[in-house]
Amino acid sequence: MKPSVAKLFHNWVFSLSGIGTIWIFLMMVIINVDILSRMIFKYSIHGVTEIVELSIVGIVFLQLGDAVASGRLTRSDGLYNKMLAKSPRVGHSLGMFFDLGGAAFFSAILAGVYPRFIDAYTRGYYAGTEGIFSVPVWPIRLLLVICCITIILVFLQLAWRHLTQLRNPQGINS
Amino acid sequence: MTGMEVGLISVILILILIYSGMYVPVALGLVSFFAVWYLRGSPEPSIYVLTLAASSSLEDYIYGVIPLFVLMGMFVSQCDLGRDIYDVANYALRKIKGGLGVATVAANTVFAAITGVSIASASVFAKVSVPEMLRFGYTRRFAVGVVAGSSVLGMLIPPSVMLIVYAIITELSVADMFKAGILPGLLLAAAYIVAIVLMAIFFPKYIGGQDEASRAFAEAQGSLTGKEITAKVAPFIALILLVLGGIYGGIFTPTEAGAVGALGAMIIALLKRKLSRPVLWTVLRETGRIVASLLLLIVAATMYSRMLSISGLPLELGNLIIDANLGLIGVLALYVLMIIVMGTVLDTTSIILIMVPLFMPVIAPFDVNLIWFGIITIVAAEIGLLTPPLGISCYVIKSTLSDPTISLWDIFAGAFPFAVIMLLVLIVLIAFPWLTLALL
Repeated sequence: MKPSVAKLFHNWVFSLSGIGTIWIFLMMVIINVDILSRMIFKYSIHGVTEIVELSIVGIVFLQLGDAVASGRLTRSDGLYNKMLAKSPRVGHSLGMFFDLGGAAFFSAILAGVYPRFIDAYTRGYYAGTEGIFSVPVWPIRLLLVICCITIILVFLQLAWRHLTQLRNPQGINS
Repeated sequence: MTGMEVGLISVILILILIYSGMYVPVALGLVSFFAVWYLRGSPEPSIYVLTLAASSSLEDYIYGVIPLFVLMGMFVSQCDLGRDIYDVANYALRKIKGGLGVATVAANTVFAAITGVSIASASVFAKVSVPEMLRFGYTRRFAVGVVAGSSVLGMLIPPSVMLIVYAIITELSVADMFKAGILPGLLLAAAYIVAIVLMAIFFPKYIGGQDEASRAFAEAQGSLTGKEITAKVAPFIALILLVLGGIYGGIFTPTEAGAVGALGAMIIALLKRKLSRPVLWTVLRETGRIVASLLLLIVAATMYSRMLSISGLPLELGNLIIDANLGLIGVLALYVLMIIVMGTVLDTTSIILIMVPLFMPVIAPFDVNLIWFGIITIVAAEIGLLTPPLGISCYVIKSTLSDPTISLWDIFAGAFPFAVIMLLVLIVLIAFPWLTLALL
């Protein structure tokens, strides 16, 4: 991967997680506004529940690319780090295998999420209750598709790094 | 292969992959994906179950509770509230033997009621109370041990992310799990305090700082006026009333309580001038990363638990255990032992998500209360925070202190007595279920 492309991709992952970050904050604000309005004006805002429900998926998938790239996915790496220090060849092979596994896992999710997006878009699915509050579902499904592809690419990038380490003996020693 | 064999091989494969360093959610999710594929003979059902776990089941109002409580915890850590409550506890408990240690436990107990993550407690009190104890002649091992041991309280006393995770995967009420955590949490705190006082009386050398001179010095320090105490304690009372009061007063759902608590903690941080724009951004980003990896873990665990039930392994395991005539105590002993062993290398959430779906059908014939079972699971898994080689609380303390004279080994050794006390409390909790269920 050329440096400029890598940089661009990094910015893309970073922006996605930035959106997710702001989204968490907005969710907190919306719920509080609803509570206040319920207490002061005895008026409950329609759709807050639906918005929160749809938000979680968005928040999680938007953040995941960044979480993967910054090594924040839960793992027990005590043994792995020892392996990496002792035998870099085995360590990096394992590391590459794990990252490819991550790519495979999100490819499987993508395989399920993509048709659901097409369905929601062509048939016009809505969430919420007709007449009170409803939002189209397809935008969030599209977001899932985009994020899944991004996460797969992040995993592939990590796997690629292990591969370059494997092919470059000087890199292994350092 | 029979379903049971597929299930068993999958579980073993998952454990091997996790131990060798694969991402926990990927190991859980991918192996389960292929297992369901094999059992159903085609990939479509597998993709269907996975998609359900990854999107539809996440579209549930209750999941909102996790980002909001994590956010609240992150704001609280910015507020320096840990230092405030520690100062007050020190002042109140200065005449007691081992006072600074007791104060650390007491402060942690109160702090736990406004935050839901053990790691947060560990890093806050490593900064606040370890230097203080060292200053007054306490030994290094004891100082870090108390902080590690009492950080566990954060996960037991509500609000707690671990109680939420358990409630979500077992479809219990978050409010009930929160209630169930209170007495066991207080019991553990009380056990720690009694142990510290006993240690101060019988092994003053181990604790350090118990001679007359250092005690007098400690007592003379840090006196507080009534006004100062009020100012330091008020944010705690406000947040506890708002969040826990809100839930039990029936005013808020747990999700709403999380949102109110997060906003409340943010306002306190603003009032205390601890929240600049870059800090806010860091807090939000960190929240995002924690939430993403936590919820992905739950997604993968949902997939895994579907795979288990399709394979029929938990039922077969249950039959096996009934045939072996182990009885409930035998089963629980086995369960706790397995969790403690896993705790040496795995984090609490992963352990809970792996073990609970496997053992829930096993204990079903014994007609036990799932809330009680949850508390036992969480306490057992939290022991792992204190044990080598991968006691996460101990690592957090080590990296927060950045003091080369305190080795990781010191921290593990110091935490060991507290891990033993946890185990004793766990046995008491198993023997007397009403301790957990009394408030429900």
